[in-house]
Amino acid sequence: MNAGILSVSPAFYKVWLRNAQVFIALWKFNFLPALAEPVLFIFVMGLGIGSYIKEIEGVPYLDFVAAGILGSAAIMQATFECTYGSFFRMRIQNTFEGIISTPMSADEVGLAEISWGATRGMVNATLVFFILLVMGVFHRWQVIFLPPLMFLAAFNFAAIALLVTSRIAQMEYFRFYFSGIVLPAQFICGTFFPVSRFPEAVQIFAWVIPFTSYIDISRSLMLDRPARALGPELLWALGTTLIFTELAVRSMHRRLVR
Amino acid sequence: MIPDKPARIHFIILIIEAKSLCKRFRDVVAVDGLDLEVEPGRCYGLVGPNGAGKTTTMKMIYCITEPTSGSLRVFDLDVISHPREIKARLGVVPQENNLDPDLSTSQNLKVYARYFGISKDVAASRCQELLEFMHLSDRADSPMPALSGGMKRRLILARALINDPELIILDEPTTGLDPQVRHLIWDRLLELKERGITLLLTTHYMDEAQKLCDEVLIMDEARSVDVGTPSELIRSHMRPYVLELRAERGRVADILSRFGHLEHQSSGQNLYFYGNATEEFNGLYGAYPDVEHLLRPASLEDVFLKLTGREIRQ
Repeated sequence: MNAGILSVSPAFYKVWLRNAQVFIALWKFNFLPALAEPVLFIFVMGLGIGSYIKEIEGVPYLDFVAAGILGSAAIMQATFECTYGSFFRMRIQNTFEGIISTPMSADEVGLAEISWGATRGMVNATLVFFILLVMGVFHRWQVIFLPPLMFLAAFNFAAIALLVTSRIAQMEYFRFYFSGIVLPAQFICGTFFPVSRFPEAVQIFAWVIPFTSYIDISRSLMLDRPARALGPELLWALGTTLIFTELAVRSMHRRLVR
Repeated sequence: MIPDKPARIHFIILIIEAKSLCKRFRDVVAVDGLDLEVEPGRCYGLVGPNGAGKTTTMKMIYCITEPTSGSLRVFDLDVISHPREIKARLGVVPQENNLDPDLSTSQNLKVYARYFGISKDVAASRCQELLEFMHLSDRADSPMPALSGGMKRRLILARALINDPELIILDEPTTGLDPQVRHLIWDRLLELKERGITLLLTTHYMDEAQKLCDEVLIMDEARSVDVGTPSELIRSHMRPYVLELRAERGRVADILSRFGHLEHQSSGQNLYFYGNATEEFNGLYGAYPDVEHLLRPASLEDVFLKLTGREIRQ
């Protein structure tokens, strides 16, 4: 079987372009709702709860929580795109079956879907980035590395999401993924308070989810302090991205070419 | 060394050639030992009850399902090793609508042109041509929800032509359409055939198969039952004339007791008598002048029902 990332031709961007074209056609419905959640988080967590907490680990709460809000914006959007979005295109609209009836391959569809999920995650995170910038949350020039880091985070979670999508028979199964992985990731990975507050078993679970690494690196870029372990964190982020992308692309091939 | 049998020489490269083609999905056998030869420029029909394996056969030909065993070559290329090359040269009209509901009519065509690597300029002019060909020019900018079922079907056919294919695969192209659209699609398909394009289609309408197809393969329960031109199939399986009778329930037994020696089939209150000459039915007419009847030449539908049975399958 000729499958996997290595079988993908550069022409995969055409499927990405198809998604972009539909997104632009429907931008009114896509853009503002996606931004509502991070903006709400900034107000509720940063300004609301933040006004009671004042400081956490020596910095104002809004400065601390900014990394979590930014990261959530990236991975949540990527996750929605490659779960419900991809499933809808695959099963309800039969879009993929049409695409693979042309010279495009199932693997190219898989990689394009992940790239598209990553793109949407990064677009969302970049908008949040500018909101935070305007709010005066950033104090260091190193924050310019945040958008590319958010692209990687979104890519990572898009790949995991597409792997799930390629394995399930009906949409209802997404609920297990959301309540088992996505929601915990959003709350225990150091988003709103440090992972170290948890018992050790929960900490291990949190560090296994790559989101914790992304948030820790983001925070080290925003606040003048080192990451817990930059090397291993980056390696874990890149490694899981690569592995899940390969798994998702192959799984998509098995799903579409039966 | 001289071989026992001289090798068969093909003077024409077959467009599709399947040998003992099989497809299994876990424990379900969808296609079982199918042989198929489609010559260029012909219209080839696959007919059979639902679940006979027609769609699976087609999906193997356009390379989105891989055969379990046997060989399948399209344009003399192997489907497992050359899917991209094969798909670049054919067009597909799938059974289910898979148009992009969020894009306009012309955008739907242009997105597909891009998958085939067709340049923007060429795509724009082909798009215009094809919309004209399918009577959709005034709908170029319509959103999908504004199109009727017949328009969507025509658009899918236009989309299948975007890459100027040598082979078009059509899975039930006219199911659920009104007679006007059916006739338009038939006209277009015949026109494409005249241009030398090969057509492979499935249909549940035997009149459609009889009208369009040079050759028909009847499938049932994953296997090929018979293959031939429509008239060959009729000649080899049917007597030339059919007398249909629609009798009241009580009289069916009575009619059969007197004329059961004639070749016949029954289905509820309907009786079908088969004969070599119309005179053979004279006695029947005389005995039951008041029973509703229809005398007609045998059709492909009669062959289909004879070979695949009258009971409901799936």
